[in-house]
Amino acid sequence: MAENATMPTTKMYVRIALLLAVLTGIEVALFYIVELTAMTQGLANPLLIGLAVAKFLIVVGYFMHLKYEKPLLSRTFAIGAVLAGGLYTVVIADILLG
Amino acid sequence: MSDLAHHDVHESTGVENRKLGMWFFLSSEFLFFGALISNYLLFKGQVPTTDALHPVQFYDIPFTSISSFVLLMSSLTMVLAHHALHEGDQRAARTWLFTTAGLGLTFLAGQFFEFSEFVIKGAGLDVLPVWSSFFVLTGFHGAHVFLGVVMLLTLFATSVRNGELSEAQGLNVELVGLYWHFVDIIWIVIFTIIYLIP
Repeated sequence: MAENATMPTTKMYVRIALLLAVLTGIEVALFYIVELTAMTQGLANPLLIGLAVAKFLIVVGYFMHLKYEKPLLSRTFAIGAVLAGGLYTVVIADILLG
Repeated sequence: MSDLAHHDVHESTGVENRKLGMWFFLSSEFLFFGALISNYLLFKGQVPTTDALHPVQFYDIPFTSISSFVLLMSSLTMVLAHHALHEGDQRAARTWLFTTAGLGLTFLAGQFFEFSEFVIKGAGLDVLPVWSSFFVLTGFHGAHVFLGVVMLLTLFATSVRNGELSEAQGLNVELVGLYWHFVDIIWIVIFTIIYLIP
């Protein structure tokens, strides 16, 4: 079990799930806004990535309880995340720079 | 479940060894999926998005959005199973475990349907490199979901057979939960990078 005793309640878990659902709805809405309006992909992409990062952090922090765990586990998890993020950055830079 | 810490805590870290091992495993899985997603991104750029065979022309965003929602909600049911067990409510834990497995199977059925649609419309592993990378990436993710469903159903069957989940099995629920949430966060990344950003 997580280190901190003040774990979320059932009601809080449901609220977090609703927030995740709303963020997913915004993501999908953004996709269609780009399709149907003059909004550019260049503007939408950072928003979409930001929403995905927010959902990612919410699930990791509250559902996986990393927010309440020892820092050792956060650091362990961060190693893989940072390395994978670095890999994406290199690939995207390669694509953008041709 | 917090009492488990007394049985299996690593002396210097203060964290259960199996739990620490699971976090190391999940961290390494980031690189596994990171390589597959990068592979898709590299191949995606080789074909114009206006090409009739580009995956973007095949995606059914409303359908995939519903699948994503199902997987997202399975994370809620998973954490509720874990929470119920922590509160000592064995019956609720069993119900939520079974619900999570059901939502996982629903997601897999959706993925099977989506793959079938793509193949009918002309996609395939050997059509274009971008399709190979797409099927390998989403297929491996689906395999992870399937493995998670097997573990959930095993926990459910154990709970039904024994009438309850013991403290040791409670740690298993926590570990399976971590794995399940990880599969969910990988889908959060896939859904945005592969489906929503052309």
